[in-house]
Amino acid sequence: MSTSVAIETALRGDRALDLRPANQVMNLERLGAMHQNRLSFMRTLVRHLMREQWDIAPRKMELDKDGYGTVIYRIDAPHGRFDFVIFSNFLSSESRNDRVIATEWDITMALVEGEIDDLYLERLRQNVPKQEAGRVDSRVFVLSRANRSARNFDYVVDQLARGQQPEIDRIAKVGYLYRTTAVYGSGKLGMADWEKVATKFPDFARPFTAEMFVCFMLRSFSLFQAEHIAKARSPETFQPMKSEIKRYFGIGNSTGLGMAPYLLNHPQLISRWVEMRELGLARVRKFGIIDNHIRSRFSELLKRSIEHTKETTTEDQRQTHSNHVMVAELEQLERQFAPSFADWEELIQWTEQQCSLQTQELLVSLLLELYPDLVDNLENYQRTDEALDLDPTMPLAELKSLIECVYQWALAIDFSAEGARETCWYRSEEKMEPRLGSIANEEAKDKQMALGVGYAVQKCYQQINIYLEEHPDHSTARFMVAQPKLRGIVRRIQAMSKGVYGDIQANLLDRNVLPMHLLRCKLAFFGVSKFDPRSRLWVRNTMFQGAPLLEEIGQPFSDDWFMPLAPKV
Amino acid sequence: MHISMNELKAALRRCFESVGYFVGNYEDAANMILWLEKHGLAGLSELERALPYIEADSEKPHVSVVYEDSISATIDCHNRSALNSIAAAVDLAQAKALKSGISTITVHNCHNRKFVLKALTDCGRRGISVAAYWRNGSNSITEHTVAIGSGDRYPSYIESETDLVGEDADRRSLTILCSSRINLAASLQAPVDHATLVNFSPRAIEANKKRSIDRGIEINPDLWKRINQIGTGILVANSERSRADAGGK
Repeated sequence: MSTSVAIETALRGDRALDLRPANQVMNLERLGAMHQNRLSFMRTLVRHLMREQWDIAPRKMELDKDGYGTVIYRIDAPHGRFDFVIFSNFLSSESRNDRVIATEWDITMALVEGEIDDLYLERLRQNVPKQEAGRVDSRVFVLSRANRSARNFDYVVDQLARGQQPEIDRIAKVGYLYRTTAVYGSGKLGMADWEKVATKFPDFARPFTAEMFVCFMLRSFSLFQAEHIAKARSPETFQPMKSEIKRYFGIGNSTGLGMAPYLLNHPQLISRWVEMRELGLARVRKFGIIDNHIRSRFSELLKRSIEHTKETTTEDQRQTHSNHVMVAELEQLERQFAPSFADWEELIQWTEQQCSLQTQELLVSLLLELYPDLVDNLENYQRTDEALDLDPTMPLAELKSLIECVYQWALAIDFSAEGARETCWYRSEEKMEPRLGSIANEEAKDKQMALGVGYAVQKCYQQINIYLEEHPDHSTARFMVAQPKLRGIVRRIQAMSKGVYGDIQANLLDRNVLPMHLLRCKLAFFGVSKFDPRSRLWVRNTMFQGAPLLEEIGQPFSDDWFMPLAPKV
Repeated sequence: MHISMNELKAALRRCFESVGYFVGNYEDAANMILWLEKHGLAGLSELERALPYIEADSEKPHVSVVYEDSISATIDCHNRSALNSIAAAVDLAQAKALKSGISTITVHNCHNRKFVLKALTDCGRRGISVAAYWRNGSNSITEHTVAIGSGDRYPSYIESETDLVGEDADRRSLTILCSSRINLAASLQAPVDHATLVNFSPRAIEANKKRSIDRGIEINPDLWKRINQIGTGILVANSERSRADAGGK
């Protein structure tokens, strides 16, 4: 069913499937209402880990009784051997800081090509704990760090030391022992470029696979470390954690504004991920048979989604309200349709007419979940060539028509309205951290990042119209000589118009823009859940909750950890 | 010191954005330099030559078309670096070649012409064959030629030292031949007044690239420091108000 030609045929042309339109899908608020699904990168990674039986075991475990020291896991994947190194160091609670400007962490980690010797380990030890202040070489391809969720960690260790299990109610509130605050790849700090990973390490050649793998390994280590400390503290009374409780622990993640520019700076990649998800949905709508098994499974997943959302804790009022609304809508969906329904169109239309965006998008995730045969192979098509090429031969009149067709949303924005251009995105001198400010800050305004795509398109369109009055037959190349300032936006328009979905449709300069939508969109593609916004600019969430454990590689695996529930023990 | 290709690209982007290059242009400049360096063609050395002058370019007039017909054009870059001027000339060459089958673009008053290699290679990738020639130097004249066939991924590049007596204008001129109908190849003729300095085949250029992908880039620490120092011009001073703009605790 799927070669890349078949994928392209399904996306556009005479035999294209019915995909949801760009003006619906690329709406910023809808992107910010997305949920994880079986094409999310964590789900894909775990399928491969389990079905390919990656051999992962510690080959060096030097931890003191308090869990501090050095650990190396050896990874034998189908196409290569790697070492995963962890440095666990004491950190006082006063020094603990989740911001990108922090300089110390409880744990720092590196994923490395091949086997490392003592000399190389020492080089890593001198640099990995320093993170942005250190340097690594091109054998390293992921660098990360994590901080303890101190109260949770200490509580779990105490319980295990006393021979008791952690209480589920307590874990449900904070379902992790550690939080990552950055996971670096793609050439940062001297490590291997993405081009190397993509061409030399087939096991990690899908987007963000290596980064997700590091988070999975961190989760495994966090569980091991808690048991290690508890056992050292009270060897006579210690009891290991039950597997079903272990599985309920994920890894916390703290994501701030730093992630937001990525979606604007890699528009073709984001558009590709959206294409694959929408293609999956289109396949389900066209080919998905509804029999008793599917109805039963749908009902089960619906109930699970309701329960999972009820178990989600957040202090953010907006998110709490959204979650309550979604639960109510899903319960109504269940009452209305669960007994019997003829096709998916009925449900989709009902949610589009009656329900919030979060519910609509959850239904999409549920539909994908039901049909692995129709959806899973799309995981192999998440990469794309990211060259924003200018087509100099395009007649300028055609460029104008292209804008009118594909960027209608940008032309419709009134940038003269109050507050329409009030926001500016800039980089701080403090670790180059992206920040969101107001144009009232003159320096921020002068040095703002070029993320206002809608505004740039509108200005470009105005210039094209003026130019065409004098030179109606000129090419884009000729226009570029006259208007060199517009080179960036012109080639973006041309390149993005080749995809199905194009740019995110939003005015990112608006006073009321919610960067949270951008963060949640990317995090949903990663596969996180339990979104807990802490402001409009940063969000905590949970990764790998419900996923199989490291020690379960080689055992039967159902790939059914979507919307995991608190265990009943 | 060792850096990754991505680090170099990001730092160069900040550097050129800081000196006033436009959106699109600073990415192009970064890509041109990185392309040369990762393909073993001394992009960083070329950058070192260009760096003292990059800020001055913002004061100069933009590229202008001095003459134009259906198959040729003459472009004046007004003494700008190729980093912020040559792309438009290559675009024009490509557009005319596609329309007319072949085109000749003559560029005057352009510095750092070696940076044109990436743009010419992109033409080849898109099915347009290109050859280019230029001279450099005052006391000792070097000749440079590059060519790429239609659909090819890598060009050939030759540089040689000559006994030729150069005109001042030669030092900043470049001729681009572009065709959508015939495959152009280039090699320097070998009279006695000529000694080849470098001769890179497409295969050698590809091998250099593979090495760079595997190992990253080596850069003089002082140059790295300079690039990053210039790039700090895009950063906003830290303050309590600014910290609040990050939204964290």
